[in-house]
Amino acid sequence: MRKTTIVPAVIATFVFSFGFVLSMAGSASAESAADNYNLFCVQCHGTKGTGKGVNAPALAVAPRNHTSAKDMSALKDADVFKAIKEGGVAVGKSTQMPSFASNMTDAEITEMVKHLRGMCKCEGKK
Amino acid sequence: MKRLIVLSCLLAFTMAFTGQALADGKALVDSNKCGDCHQMAGPAAATIADVMKRKAPDLFYAGSKFNKEWLVGYIQNPTQLRPAGTVYRNNIKTEGDKDIVGDLPKCASKLSAGDAAAVADYLMTLTDASMAAGVFKQDKFKKARAKILMKKKEACDACHMFPGKKGKPGKGGVSCPTFAGIGARLNPDWMYSFIKHPQHWDPKVWMAKREFTDAQLQLMVNFLSSMK
Repeated sequence: MRKTTIVPAVIATFVFSFGFVLSMAGSASAESAADNYNLFCVQCHGTKGTGKGVNAPALAVAPRNHTSAKDMSALKDADVFKAIKEGGVAVGKSTQMPSFASNMTDAEITEMVKHLRGMCKCEGKK
Repeated sequence: MKRLIVLSCLLAFTMAFTGQALADGKALVDSNKCGDCHQMAGPAAATIADVMKRKAPDLFYAGSKFNKEWLVGYIQNPTQLRPAGTVYRNNIKTEGDKDIVGDLPKCASKLSAGDAAAVADYLMTLTDASMAAGVFKQDKFKKARAKILMKKKEACDACHMFPGKKGKPGKGGVSCPTFAGIGARLNPDWMYSFIKHPQHWDPKVWMAKREFTDAQLQLMVNFLSSMK
Protein backbone atom coordinates (compact mmCIF):
# COMPACT_ATOMS: atom_id res chain seq x y z
CA MET A 1 0.00 0.00 0.00
CA ARG A 2 2.84 2.31 0.98
CA LYS A 3 4.79 1.37 -2.15
CA THR A 4 1.86 2.33 -4.37
CA THR A 5 1.87 5.85 -2.85
CA ILE A 6 5.62 6.48 -2.97
CA VAL A 7 6.26 5.33 -6.56
CA PRO A 8 3.82 7.75 -8.24
CA ALA A 9 5.15 10.55 -6.01
CA VAL A 10 8.74 9.88 -7.10
CA ILE A 11 7.69 9.75 -10.76
CA ALA A 12 5.72 12.98 -10.40
CA THR A 13 8.69 14.72 -8.76
CA PHE A 14 11.00 13.53 -11.53
CA VAL A 15 8.63 14.65 -14.28
CA PHE A 16 8.11 18.05 -12.63
CA SER A 17 11.85 18.60 -12.13
CA PHE A 18 12.65 17.54 -15.68
CA GLY A 19 9.97 19.84 -17.03
CA PHE A 20 11.26 22.72 -14.91
CA VAL A 21 14.83 22.21 -16.14
CA LEU A 22 13.57 22.06 -19.74
CA SER A 23 11.55 25.24 -19.33
CA MET A 24 14.54 27.09 -17.85
CA ALA A 25 16.75 25.92 -20.68
CA GLY A 26 14.10 27.06 -23.14
CA SER A 27 13.98 30.57 -21.68
CA ALA A 28 17.69 31.04 -22.36
CA SER A 29 17.67 29.50 -25.83
CA ALA A 30 19.46 31.33 -28.61
CA GLU A 31 17.59 33.46 -31.10
CA SER A 32 18.31 32.89 -34.78
CA ALA A 33 20.64 35.37 -36.48
CA ALA A 34 17.80 36.33 -38.82
CA ASP A 35 15.54 37.22 -35.86
CA ASN A 36 18.31 39.14 -34.09
CA TYR A 37 19.05 41.05 -37.30
CA ASN A 38 15.36 41.74 -37.75
CA LEU A 39 14.99 43.37 -34.31
CA PHE A 40 18.38 44.89 -33.50
CA CYS A 41 20.02 45.74 -36.84
CA VAL A 42 17.12 46.67 -39.12
CA GLN A 43 16.43 49.94 -37.27
CA CYS A 44 19.59 51.43 -38.86
CA HIS A 45 20.77 48.98 -41.51
CA GLY A 46 17.31 48.46 -43.00
CA THR A 47 15.12 45.51 -43.86
CA LYS A 48 17.21 44.84 -46.98
CA GLY A 49 20.50 45.43 -45.17
CA THR A 50 21.49 48.25 -47.51
CA GLY A 51 22.02 50.77 -44.71
CA LYS A 52 18.71 52.55 -45.27
CA GLY A 53 16.82 51.81 -42.08
CA VAL A 54 14.21 54.09 -40.51
CA ASN A 55 16.86 55.74 -38.31
CA ALA A 56 19.35 56.27 -41.15
CA PRO A 57 18.21 59.83 -42.01
CA ALA A 58 19.08 60.89 -38.45
CA LEU A 59 22.60 59.48 -38.55
CA ALA A 60 25.67 61.58 -39.29
CA VAL A 61 27.50 58.52 -40.65
CA ALA A 62 25.59 56.27 -43.06
CA PRO A 63 25.09 52.75 -41.67
CA ARG A 64 27.11 50.06 -43.44
CA ASN A 65 25.57 48.37 -46.46
CA HIS A 66 25.65 44.70 -45.47
CA THR A 67 24.86 43.60 -49.01
CA SER A 68 27.97 45.24 -50.46
CA ALA A 69 30.54 42.52 -51.18
CA LYS A 70 33.14 45.21 -51.81
CA ASP A 71 32.69 46.89 -48.41
CA MET A 72 32.11 43.74 -46.37
CA SER A 73 34.99 41.73 -47.85
CA ALA A 74 37.35 44.47 -46.65
CA LEU A 75 36.47 43.54 -43.06
CA LYS A 76 37.87 40.63 -41.05
CA ASP A 77 35.29 38.40 -39.35
CA ALA A 78 36.99 39.13 -36.03
CA ASP A 79 36.52 42.88 -36.54
CA VAL A 80 32.85 42.43 -37.46
CA PHE A 81 32.39 40.36 -34.28
CA LYS A 82 34.16 43.04 -32.24
CA ALA A 83 32.10 45.85 -33.74
CA ILE A 84 28.86 44.07 -32.82
CA LYS A 85 30.00 43.06 -29.34
CA GLU A 86 31.90 46.18 -28.31
CA GLY A 87 30.48 48.85 -30.61
CA GLY A 88 31.84 50.85 -33.54
CA VAL A 89 34.37 52.75 -31.46
CA ALA A 90 36.18 49.49 -30.61
CA VAL A 91 37.13 49.10 -34.27
CA GLY A 92 37.72 52.78 -35.00
CA LYS A 93 34.24 53.39 -36.42
CA SER A 94 31.20 55.46 -35.46
CA THR A 95 29.84 55.87 -31.92
CA GLN A 96 26.42 55.48 -33.51
CA MET A 97 26.98 51.72 -33.61
CA PRO A 98 26.56 50.69 -29.95
CA SER A 99 27.78 47.54 -28.22
CA PHE A 100 25.18 44.79 -28.54
CA ALA A 101 26.78 42.64 -25.83
CA SER A 102 23.64 42.90 -23.69
CA ASN A 103 21.35 42.01 -26.60
CA MET A 104 23.18 39.00 -28.03
CA THR A 105 25.38 36.28 -26.60
CA ASP A 106 28.83 35.57 -28.07
CA ALA A 107 27.39 32.50 -29.80
CA GLU A 108 24.60 34.60 -31.32
CA ILE A 109 27.10 37.23 -32.50
CA THR A 110 29.18 34.48 -34.13
CA GLU A 111 26.04 33.36 -35.98
CA MET A 112 25.35 36.99 -36.88
CA VAL A 113 28.76 37.29 -38.53
CA LYS A 114 27.92 34.21 -40.63
CA HIS A 115 24.50 35.75 -41.43
CA LEU A 116 26.20 38.95 -42.64
CA ARG A 117 28.53 36.91 -44.83
CA GLY A 118 25.43 35.37 -46.36
CA MET A 119 23.99 38.84 -47.01
CA CYS A 120 27.09 40.12 -48.80
CA LYS A 121 27.78 36.76 -50.41
CA CYS A 122 31.40 37.33 -49.56
CA GLU A 123 34.16 36.14 -47.27
CA GLY A 124 35.95 38.21 -44.67
CA LYS A 125 39.43 39.61 -45.18
CA LYS A 126 42.04 37.09 -44.07
CA MET B 1 -13.37 61.43 22.38
CA LYS B 2 -15.61 63.20 19.84
CA ARG B 3 -12.53 64.24 17.90
CA LEU B 4 -11.30 60.66 17.83
CA ILE B 5 -14.63 59.44 16.48
CA VAL B 6 -14.68 62.16 13.78
CA LEU B 7 -11.08 61.40 12.79
CA SER B 8 -11.83 57.67 12.63
CA CYS B 9 -14.86 58.33 10.42
CA LEU B 10 -12.80 60.57 8.12
CA LEU B 11 -10.07 57.96 7.89
CA ALA B 12 -12.56 55.19 7.14
CA PHE B 13 -14.27 57.37 4.51
CA THR B 14 -10.93 58.22 2.88
CA MET B 15 -9.86 54.57 2.84
CA ALA B 16 -13.21 53.47 1.44
CA PHE B 17 -13.11 56.22 -1.21
CA THR B 18 -9.54 55.34 -2.26
CA GLY B 19 -10.39 51.67 -2.39
CA GLN B 20 -13.45 52.42 -4.53
CA ALA B 21 -11.36 54.56 -6.94
CA LEU B 22 -8.84 51.75 -7.34
CA ALA B 23 -11.63 49.26 -7.91
CA ASP B 24 -13.19 51.61 -10.47
CA GLY B 25 -9.83 52.09 -12.18
CA LYS B 26 -9.31 48.34 -12.47
CA ALA B 27 -12.87 47.91 -13.74
CA LEU B 28 -12.30 50.64 -16.35
CA VAL B 29 -9.06 48.99 -17.48
CA ASP B 30 -10.97 45.74 -17.88
CA SER B 31 -14.06 47.22 -19.55
CA ASN B 32 -11.94 49.27 -22.00
CA LYS B 33 -10.00 46.10 -22.79
CA CYS B 34 -6.63 47.78 -22.22
CA GLY B 35 -5.22 44.29 -21.74
CA ASP B 36 -5.96 43.44 -25.38
CA CYS B 37 -2.98 45.57 -26.40
CA HIS B 38 -1.06 46.30 -23.19
CA GLN B 39 0.47 43.53 -21.11
CA MET B 40 -1.01 44.10 -17.66
CA ALA B 41 0.92 41.37 -15.82
CA GLY B 42 4.59 40.39 -15.95
CA PRO B 43 7.01 39.05 -16.84
CA ALA B 44 7.99 40.95 -19.98
CA ALA B 45 8.38 39.12 -23.28
CA ALA B 46 11.59 37.08 -23.22
CA THR B 47 11.78 36.06 -26.87
CA ILE B 48 11.86 38.06 -30.08
CA ALA B 49 8.79 36.17 -31.30
CA ASP B 50 6.85 37.42 -28.27
CA VAL B 51 8.18 40.97 -28.61
CA MET B 52 6.87 41.03 -32.19
CA LYS B 53 3.39 40.27 -30.83
CA ARG B 54 3.48 43.35 -28.59
CA LYS B 55 0.84 45.88 -29.65
CA ALA B 56 1.36 48.55 -26.99
CA PRO B 57 3.78 49.26 -24.15
CA ASP B 58 3.75 46.98 -21.09
CA LEU B 59 1.81 48.51 -18.20
CA PHE B 60 2.49 46.04 -15.41
CA TYR B 61 5.10 48.40 -13.92
CA ALA B 62 3.32 51.64 -14.90
CA GLY B 63 3.40 52.88 -11.31
CA SER B 64 7.20 52.72 -11.30
CA LYS B 65 7.60 54.18 -14.77
CA PHE B 66 5.18 57.07 -15.14
CA ASN B 67 4.35 60.33 -13.38
CA LYS B 68 0.73 60.19 -12.30
CA GLU B 69 -0.17 63.74 -13.39
CA TRP B 70 1.03 62.97 -16.90
CA LEU B 71 -0.89 59.68 -16.99
CA VAL B 72 -4.16 61.40 -16.10
CA GLY B 73 -3.81 63.80 -19.05
CA TYR B 74 -2.48 61.20 -21.49
CA ILE B 75 -5.24 58.68 -20.87
CA GLN B 76 -7.77 61.33 -21.91
CA ASN B 77 -6.02 61.90 -25.22
CA PRO B 78 -3.40 59.27 -26.12
CA THR B 79 -0.87 60.29 -28.77
CA GLN B 80 1.99 58.46 -30.48
CA LEU B 81 5.11 58.74 -28.31
CA ARG B 82 7.07 56.27 -30.41
CA PRO B 83 7.38 57.73 -33.90
CA ALA B 84 7.57 54.25 -35.45
CA GLY B 85 5.08 52.62 -33.09
CA THR B 86 5.51 50.33 -30.10
CA VAL B 87 7.67 47.77 -31.90
CA TYR B 88 9.17 49.75 -34.78
CA ARG B 89 9.87 46.59 -36.77
CA ASN B 90 6.15 45.88 -37.17
CA ASN B 91 5.46 49.26 -38.78
CA ILE B 92 8.05 49.54 -41.53
CA LYS B 93 7.24 49.92 -45.21
CA THR B 94 9.89 49.61 -47.88
CA GLU B 95 10.15 52.00 -50.79
CA GLY B 96 12.83 50.75 -53.15
CA ASP B 97 15.68 49.83 -50.83
CA LYS B 98 14.72 52.48 -48.26
CA ASP B 99 12.66 51.86 -45.12
CA ILE B 100 10.00 54.33 -44.02
CA VAL B 101 7.46 54.29 -41.20
CA GLY B 102 4.08 53.02 -42.33
CA ASP B 103 0.63 53.61 -40.87
CA LEU B 104 0.57 53.33 -37.09
CA PRO B 105 -2.24 51.80 -35.05
CA LYS B 106 -3.87 54.25 -32.66
CA CYS B 107 -4.93 53.70 -29.05
CA ALA B 108 -8.71 53.41 -29.12
CA SER B 109 -9.29 54.66 -25.58
CA LYS B 110 -10.17 58.24 -24.77
CA LEU B 111 -11.46 58.48 -21.24
CA SER B 112 -13.16 61.33 -19.38
CA ALA B 113 -11.14 63.26 -16.81
CA GLY B 114 -12.79 61.36 -13.93
CA ASP B 115 -12.28 57.95 -15.46
CA ALA B 116 -8.71 58.83 -16.45
CA ALA B 117 -7.94 59.79 -12.85
CA ALA B 118 -9.37 56.48 -11.60
CA VAL B 119 -7.36 54.49 -14.16
CA ALA B 120 -4.21 56.45 -13.30
CA ASP B 121 -4.78 55.72 -9.60
CA TYR B 122 -4.98 52.02 -10.42
CA LEU B 123 -1.98 52.03 -12.78
CA MET B 124 0.12 53.72 -10.11
CA THR B 125 -0.40 50.65 -7.92
CA LEU B 126 1.34 48.48 -10.54
CA THR B 127 4.92 48.84 -9.40
CA ASP B 128 8.13 46.86 -9.57
CA ALA B 129 9.57 46.35 -6.10
CA SER B 130 13.05 45.80 -7.52
CA MET B 131 13.36 49.45 -8.52
CA ALA B 132 15.24 51.59 -6.02
CA ALA B 133 13.40 54.82 -5.18
CA GLY B 134 15.15 58.10 -4.42
CA VAL B 135 18.23 57.25 -6.51
CA PHE B 136 17.85 60.27 -8.79
CA LYS B 137 19.25 63.50 -7.39
CA GLN B 138 17.79 66.60 -9.00
CA ASP B 139 20.61 69.08 -9.36
CA LYS B 140 21.97 71.89 -11.49
CA PHE B 141 23.63 70.50 -14.58
CA LYS B 142 25.43 71.74 -17.64
CA LYS B 143 23.29 71.11 -20.68
CA ALA B 144 26.34 71.25 -22.96
CA ARG B 145 27.97 68.39 -21.02
CA ALA B 146 24.77 66.34 -21.21
CA LYS B 147 24.54 66.92 -24.97
CA ILE B 148 28.17 65.86 -25.50
CA LEU B 149 27.50 62.64 -23.58
CA MET B 150 24.12 61.84 -25.11
CA LYS B 151 24.70 62.99 -28.68
CA LYS B 152 28.42 62.91 -29.49
CA LYS B 153 29.57 60.07 -27.25
CA GLU B 154 26.55 57.74 -27.02
CA ALA B 155 24.54 58.84 -30.05
CA CYS B 156 21.19 58.53 -28.26
CA ASP B 157 19.76 60.63 -31.09
CA ALA B 158 20.40 57.75 -33.49
CA CYS B 159 17.21 56.12 -32.18
CA HIS B 160 15.50 58.78 -30.00
CA MET B 161 14.17 62.12 -31.20
CA PHE B 162 15.28 65.16 -29.23
CA PRO B 163 12.63 67.92 -28.92
CA GLY B 164 12.84 70.79 -31.37
CA LYS B 165 13.31 74.37 -30.24
CA LYS B 166 10.31 76.71 -30.03
CA GLY B 167 7.79 74.23 -31.39
CA LYS B 168 9.93 73.16 -34.35
CA PRO B 169 10.06 69.46 -35.24
CA GLY B 170 12.61 67.48 -33.28
CA LYS B 171 15.68 65.73 -34.63
CA GLY B 172 16.70 62.14 -34.19
CA GLY B 173 15.81 58.54 -34.86
CA VAL B 174 12.35 57.03 -34.75
CA SER B 175 12.76 53.45 -33.50
CA CYS B 176 12.55 54.43 -29.82
CA PRO B 177 10.34 56.82 -27.80
CA THR B 178 10.67 60.55 -28.36
CA PHE B 179 12.41 62.63 -25.69
CA ALA B 180 9.87 65.42 -26.20
CA GLY B 181 7.96 65.73 -22.93
CA ILE B 182 9.86 62.87 -21.32
CA GLY B 183 10.46 64.92 -18.17
CA ALA B 184 6.73 65.22 -17.56
CA ARG B 185 6.09 61.64 -18.60
CA LEU B 186 8.55 59.48 -16.71
CA ASN B 187 9.60 58.96 -13.13
CA PRO B 188 13.30 59.98 -13.01
CA ASP B 189 14.17 56.98 -10.80
CA TRP B 190 12.78 54.71 -13.51
CA MET B 191 14.73 56.55 -16.23
CA TYR B 192 17.90 56.02 -14.16
CA SER B 193 17.14 52.32 -13.77
CA PHE B 194 16.16 51.79 -17.41
CA ILE B 195 19.21 53.57 -18.87
CA LYS B 196 21.45 51.67 -16.48
CA HIS B 197 20.05 48.29 -17.51
CA PRO B 198 17.34 48.31 -20.21
CA GLN B 199 17.18 44.50 -20.36
CA HIS B 200 16.15 44.32 -16.70
CA TRP B 201 12.84 45.87 -17.76
CA ASP B 202 12.54 44.44 -21.23
CA PRO B 203 14.86 41.49 -21.94
CA LYS B 204 14.66 41.84 -25.73
CA VAL B 205 14.50 45.62 -26.02
CA TRP B 206 16.54 46.92 -28.97
CA MET B 207 18.26 49.54 -26.84
CA ALA B 208 21.84 48.55 -26.07
CA LYS B 209 23.14 48.63 -22.49
CA ARG B 210 26.02 51.00 -21.86
CA GLU B 211 28.37 51.18 -18.92
CA PHE B 212 27.63 54.49 -17.21
CA THR B 213 28.91 55.93 -13.94
CA ASP B 214 26.41 57.27 -11.41
CA ALA B 215 27.51 60.81 -12.30
CA GLN B 216 26.77 60.19 -16.00
CA LEU B 217 23.37 58.68 -15.21
CA GLN B 218 22.50 61.64 -12.96
CA LEU B 219 23.57 64.09 -15.69
CA MET B 220 21.44 62.35 -18.34
CA VAL B 221 18.37 61.98 -16.14
CA ASN B 222 18.63 65.63 -15.04
CA PHE B 223 18.76 66.63 -18.72
CA LEU B 224 15.87 64.35 -19.70
CA SER B 225 13.81 65.51 -16.72
CA SER B 226 14.17 69.09 -17.96
CA MET B 227 12.41 68.17 -21.24
CA LYS B 228 8.84 68.92 -20.21
